[in-house]
Amino acid sequence: MENLPDMTGYIMQGTKYILPLLALWVLLRCVRSMLRERYEPETWAYLVDLNGTEHPVNHWECIVGRARSADIVLDDPTVSRMHASLQRDGDGDWTLTDLRSKGGTFVNGEEAGAWESVGDGDEIDFAAEAMAFREISGAERERLERRRSAPGRFVGPGVTLLILSLFQAFLALEFTVTADGEHLYSICLSFFALMAAEWFCYLFMRTLGRTGFEPETLAFFLTTLGVEVCATSTPDDMLKEVVLILAGVALFFFLGWWLRDLERVKRTRWLAAAAALGLLALNLVMGEVRGGSMNWLEIGGFTIQPSELVKVCYIYAGAATLDRLFARRNLFGYIAFSAVCVCALALMGDFGTAVIFFATFLVVSFLRSGSFATVLLAVSGAGLAGFLVLSVKPYIAQRFSTWGHAWEDVWDAGFQQTRAMSAAASGGLFGQGAGEGWLKDIVAANTDMVFAVLSEELGLIIAITAMLAVIALALFAVRNAAQGRSTFYVIAGCAAVSLMMVQMGLNVFGSLDILPFTGVTFPFVSKGGTSLLSCWMLLAFVKATDTRRDASFVVRREKRRYREEGREAYPEEYGGDDYDGEEALG
Amino acid sequence: MKKVQRRAGAALLIALMLVVGLAVYLVRLADDGGAWATYFTGGSPAGEIIDRNGAVLYTSDGESWDFSADETVRRACYHLLGDTRGNVATGALRQFRDSLMGYSFVSGTSSGRTLQLTVDSSLNAAAYNALAGRNGTAILLDYTTGEILCMVSTPADDPENPSSEPADGTYINKAIGASFVPGSVYKLVTLAAAIENIPDLFERSFWCGGSADLDGITLQCTGYHGSQTIEQALANSCNCAFGEISLELGYDTLVEYAEKLGITAELTMDGMQVKSGSLDWEQEDARIGLAWTGIGQHNDLVCPYALVRYVAAVANGGSIYEPTILGHGELDRETELLSASTAERIASMMDYNVETAYGGEWTFPGLDVAAKTGTAEVGDGTSHAWMTGFLNDPEHPYAFVVLVEHAGGGLTNAGPVANTLLQAAVAAGGTQAQ
Repeated sequence: MENLPDMTGYIMQGTKYILPLLALWVLLRCVRSMLRERYEPETWAYLVDLNGTEHPVNHWECIVGRARSADIVLDDPTVSRMHASLQRDGDGDWTLTDLRSKGGTFVNGEEAGAWESVGDGDEIDFAAEAMAFREISGAERERLERRRSAPGRFVGPGVTLLILSLFQAFLALEFTVTADGEHLYSICLSFFALMAAEWFCYLFMRTLGRTGFEPETLAFFLTTLGVEVCATSTPDDMLKEVVLILAGVALFFFLGWWLRDLERVKRTRWLAAAAALGLLALNLVMGEVRGGSMNWLEIGGFTIQPSELVKVCYIYAGAATLDRLFARRNLFGYIAFSAVCVCALALMGDFGTAVIFFATFLVVSFLRSGSFATVLLAVSGAGLAGFLVLSVKPYIAQRFSTWGHAWEDVWDAGFQQTRAMSAAASGGLFGQGAGEGWLKDIVAANTDMVFAVLSEELGLIIAITAMLAVIALALFAVRNAAQGRSTFYVIAGCAAVSLMMVQMGLNVFGSLDILPFTGVTFPFVSKGGTSLLSCWMLLAFVKATDTRRDASFVVRREKRRYREEGREAYPEEYGGDDYDGEEALG
Repeated sequence: MKKVQRRAGAALLIALMLVVGLAVYLVRLADDGGAWATYFTGGSPAGEIIDRNGAVLYTSDGESWDFSADETVRRACYHLLGDTRGNVATGALRQFRDSLMGYSFVSGTSSGRTLQLTVDSSLNAAAYNALAGRNGTAILLDYTTGEILCMVSTPADDPENPSSEPADGTYINKAIGASFVPGSVYKLVTLAAAIENIPDLFERSFWCGGSADLDGITLQCTGYHGSQTIEQALANSCNCAFGEISLELGYDTLVEYAEKLGITAELTMDGMQVKSGSLDWEQEDARIGLAWTGIGQHNDLVCPYALVRYVAAVANGGSIYEPTILGHGELDRETELLSASTAERIASMMDYNVETAYGGEWTFPGLDVAAKTGTAEVGDGTSHAWMTGFLNDPEHPYAFVVLVEHAGGGLTNAGPVANTLLQAAVAAGGTQAQ
């Protein structure tokens, strides 16, 4: 034991280079698995034309038409560009809706309007193009599914997780050298708890027969960095941090399970909208002012940031199924809802979150409408509103005036940015070692300046890897859009990753004086309970887009057997009511 | 579905912006990372500073710090190193914290970097003791390499126990950060101009009657010198002779040579700004002003660093490697100040000075010194004592300047300090293996 002190030098020097390697390895394995593996569409039914050619129906929501952007392209001059939509609900029942086509749509010879139900063997005429609808049997579906490849065949998720665990172990090892004696125990225990949580998740997934674990691995990687930031800045809060992580993972599972059932989701969208508005209203009435913005709420001893939870509700309420995309008034309703949310946040003085919401709004409204005009209109409106906010709130205006001039005022307006840049630069590529930085002691270092804390202590490579992990999640969600079952999942997934990216951009570039300093959090990494919870919930939206075979627990294995059960569980008239309710909400 | 799928690509725009932002950051980091990283380190950056013999002058882990154990060394090296409060702007602690902290893009800052200076702290201590509480400065450098072996400025302070009421001038390194009336040492500058511009300089004889009358104003000389050669005039430091030469050269030539020889030029030492000297000739049509300008007594101001740099060039055949306390990694390019023949002539005349006027062996026992003294009247009845020169010794090629403020005559006051410094340098010469 006498030569133990000599070991510390080797530990710090060794882990310094091992950690970035492991982090990059985890990232590359996840990226390769998510983006490089073959993607095959799911097949749900066929449209058979007179020649006997089978057109596969690859989504739950399809557009039939002559346009190349239609999901089922019919090359017949009488067919309209967007002729009709073919939709499968969560229970497996198919309906057909004519999209005001010129030639009309007919089911078994009768003209179809909206929500015309179709079944196996029905004859459908899209103007002059005669087709037959053929549903596939359970056995056939299983056969087709077996032909698709499941994730994890080339890049084993267990191995990736093992590398991540090694990363965590080495990080904990660094803390054994640098941490105070009194905190050492709780820090090590926290890393152990994190490992236990991720392996529990993994084994639970395997028990469910799912093999896609890349989004969770990336999230756990980012959370690990969050634990590092907490351990170095506020080691007294380690227990709280771990409890929050476990709660976040639990909420991830809950929301994921909830999202499995599209019908349930459709029915509860108005609830999410109401919850969002309610939380914001509650915040405006009872909120506490901290650090210039009134975005804190104290409930029974717990302080929460309602705006973080509103993010989840906002995306939940903002995403929509295909049928709703064609009604313009739905979009207007959404714009009004968004305007209320953003204005409420601006009123609270939470400028950063307002910007995040607005960017998310832009992404969602573009996904819904595809119209640049709407987006431009929104941007100019927001620009005007932003100008108003700047002239009313001197606190925010000051941040704008400091922007780009942080080094001219290092003791006041540029205090945080200059220290963040200084500390980040001093870390080099490999960092000074976990717990060895000085930036952690600056106010808000563990939330607004985490990129710099990571750069200083773990090095630029790991800090950039963290950013790339979020970008990788985004690329994953975008790529999955091609195979989405419902536009709801695609829009929600893309909105969630866009929100994360915008938030990360404001956090990182704000602290580095490339953007105005807005004081928002880095997804998963920044300390802050509610933020962590909301990030894990957003991850559930990403999971819902992953339709690779047996990949995601959020995506149901749809077998014929299930369809029969589904009919019993959700009586037909229930679905009819549902739509009326939603239209009213807008 | 396909429509939405295509639109989903919009999210990639955000990803693209993130990548662009990251690129902007990386470019800025590569450009300014060193300045950022060392900005908040305060006055005691982590690292170690040692002198040319490896003696530790300063060591710090970034929080606690230590200077030399010997108080005399601490005081003698006060301006060389600077203090932890950042009062001495030109100290190594402040100027070289980048290299002390060892910033690099790859490894960031690394504590424990050692910075070796060319200065010999024992020579600094010797010069400090020789100044004996008087204000002034001393520089000694190797004129073949430009390495500064001694650089002292007084009054100094103890960086470990800083005085709450420091004497005037404590925070200034007078060696590089101040300029003084040069007095007769400036005749070396005028001499260079004379050698190159007055063809029959060495054939002439200069008459001194104890004073000269210039347009009704008396130019007082240091004595009655009679008829002299230029060598004798320099040894006598004859004002009449150099007044005559100055009038003959004219103001423009004097200014030209002051600039060319570095006296009024913008000089830097290891990246630090050196205080520029100045020639200020207010009375444009009064010839007396011009005469005093060439003699060095009027409103001339000279930085000791610039003077020793010039004298080192004289000793080294006209050109010099720029003086440094960090050392030249490899000797690459010499700066030529004056022609080799001019340098040789000035050098031999400085040698003649010591032989005939400064007491030779009596003043510098065992050393072959070439020098010029100066007694600069500062207007309050006192004079700054100057001496600058070099050793004619290939084993010990040292050039020096000594200034003792308000001390009186140059030879009697600056001379002994110069001798002490040179004797110490020669004695230490054998150990300067590094």
